[in-house]
Amino acid sequence: MSTPAATVSAAAAPAESSGPTVAGKALVIGIVGLVLTALGVLVSGAEKAAMSYLVGITFWTAIAIGMLLLVLIHHIVDASWSVVIRRQFEHGFVAFKWLALLFLPLALTPFLGHGDLVWPWMNADHVIHGGHTVGHDPLYIKKSGFLNTNMFLGVTFVSFLLWMWVSARLRKASFSQDVDGDVKWTYMNRKTAAFGLPIAAFSLTAIAIFWVKSLEYHWFSTMYGVWFFANCVRGALCCGVFIMVWLYRRGDFRGILNPNHWHSIGMLMLAFTVFWAYVTFSQYFLIWNANVPEETFWYNLRELNHDGSTNQWWYVGLVILFGHFFVPFFALLSYRFKVTPHIIRRIALWNLTIILVDMCYNILPALKDSHEDSLPFFSLHLLWVLTSVVGVGGVCVWAYLRSLPTTKLIPIRDPRIGESLTHHE
Amino acid sequence: MAAQPHGLIATFETTPDLYHAAEQVRDAGYRHWDCITPFPVHGLDKAMGLKRSIVPRISLAGGITGFITGMTLIWWTGEVDYPLIVGGKPMFSPMFAFPVSYELTILFTAFATIIGMLVVNGLPRHYHPVLKYDHIVRGMDDTFFIVIESRDPRFNLANTKALLEKAGGKAITELEP
Repeated sequence: MSTPAATVSAAAAPAESSGPTVAGKALVIGIVGLVLTALGVLVSGAEKAAMSYLVGITFWTAIAIGMLLLVLIHHIVDASWSVVIRRQFEHGFVAFKWLALLFLPLALTPFLGHGDLVWPWMNADHVIHGGHTVGHDPLYIKKSGFLNTNMFLGVTFVSFLLWMWVSARLRKASFSQDVDGDVKWTYMNRKTAAFGLPIAAFSLTAIAIFWVKSLEYHWFSTMYGVWFFANCVRGALCCGVFIMVWLYRRGDFRGILNPNHWHSIGMLMLAFTVFWAYVTFSQYFLIWNANVPEETFWYNLRELNHDGSTNQWWYVGLVILFGHFFVPFFALLSYRFKVTPHIIRRIALWNLTIILVDMCYNILPALKDSHEDSLPFFSLHLLWVLTSVVGVGGVCVWAYLRSLPTTKLIPIRDPRIGESLTHHE
Repeated sequence: MAAQPHGLIATFETTPDLYHAAEQVRDAGYRHWDCITPFPVHGLDKAMGLKRSIVPRISLAGGITGFITGMTLIWWTGEVDYPLIVGGKPMFSPMFAFPVSYELTILFTAFATIIGMLVVNGLPRHYHPVLKYDHIVRGMDDTFFIVIESRDPRFNLANTKALLEKAGGKAITELEP
């Protein structure tokens, strides 16, 4: 058993800076990624580059939202074991303002050219399948009160603002408690969590609908926000594992983490694997069962070409089915896999990769060829997906690393820190 | 010949006493022995040298059985025993068999877990020789006990008694069979 007193005094020092070098490297890698994505505009054209960039932005925004959700859930249920890793998620929150900045190019697309560079409904003259235009499409007209450029920009802007505000409150209370140890900060966080959770739930649903689902605005799915939520939390848990292993190997977390912390975060990963599968299967199953053309076309695009031949997205779908559910599910059933840092880190890396594939599956088939078939998964623009993931990710990691040394490694004066340090021991 | 006692019981006053005594009994190589505590003691399983429970494996077996049962049920009723076209769907598809399989996976996992836990623990049990020991009720209040059973191959009345004494056990008593 570790002795809380000794550990806390060791952790009382500010978290060791990883030095300007690591953060600086992340920033350089990020900028290189973003520059390469910008060059993608010249190589593949603005539409494909922008769509690929949307994948990168959505991927990292999902992870940041997931971190916000995990901290909010931690406070609302008054959790104890996760106190020692909560601080790392709080550092992750700083990504929001940079993500908002990085979203700007996409927010400008409604004002470029015809405005339909990414989202077709932003241009009333956009020709849709069958020769009609968006402006004459009853399905658009009925939705236009919600689905218009002003709403899109307003919701995006307000969502980023709300995420920054809620996360700033959580950070302030948590960091202030390090200094004065006042329990009022814990109560403040609990209140923030009480209103922050509905805010996060509504905003992430709105973002999932506007950014991703509206790419095929004919489509209906009431599961969509929940699907996005599941990926948000899964992504955040995997990043959490990554950070835990990194800080453990570097020595910061030695004497703080015990096998039960790994076990607990592993169990959450398992739970959200099942949850993701439940939601994603339900969406597919209901559409398959009802067999209504307004809904099935979305999956048809991801399975078949117009001549009935199977396209690449069919196989991507199978990769998601097995890779995003069966593989992590069976791997995470094992106690040994969950408590062995290098194995759970591998599972986390695997999950993050498949979350990216899942984002691609939901976004990229909106790019079509002259037959209205989705462009294949292995196209040149997949390269711009990777550069934007690296680009946006580099900036997010840099922001995290800059925040890391500014506070203590763990919330040393949290009322539940002792419980967390001796989790199940 | 006097009947072999069920085993030896020793009393301990505090959790650390019990914990360290358990380590000594573990290191002496005993297998048929147990600790009796009024509340769960974290880390005692380690001090006793207990391995992780096999109940999760029983749960997994139950889950797999449930899944196969669900799939087989829908396939047998819909494809073999009473084929009926519903909503233009195939006679059998894992798609619509999935909700049933999934529910049965959970149900059978729950049954397997509960029953597996009871079987592994040897429950329900209406009688146990330690219940004859007068002071055993204090094991539900403020006292800790270690029982070493005589069926253990290493059990030897004198040596085992010495071990428990050395480990700090008080009031070492032979239990009636």
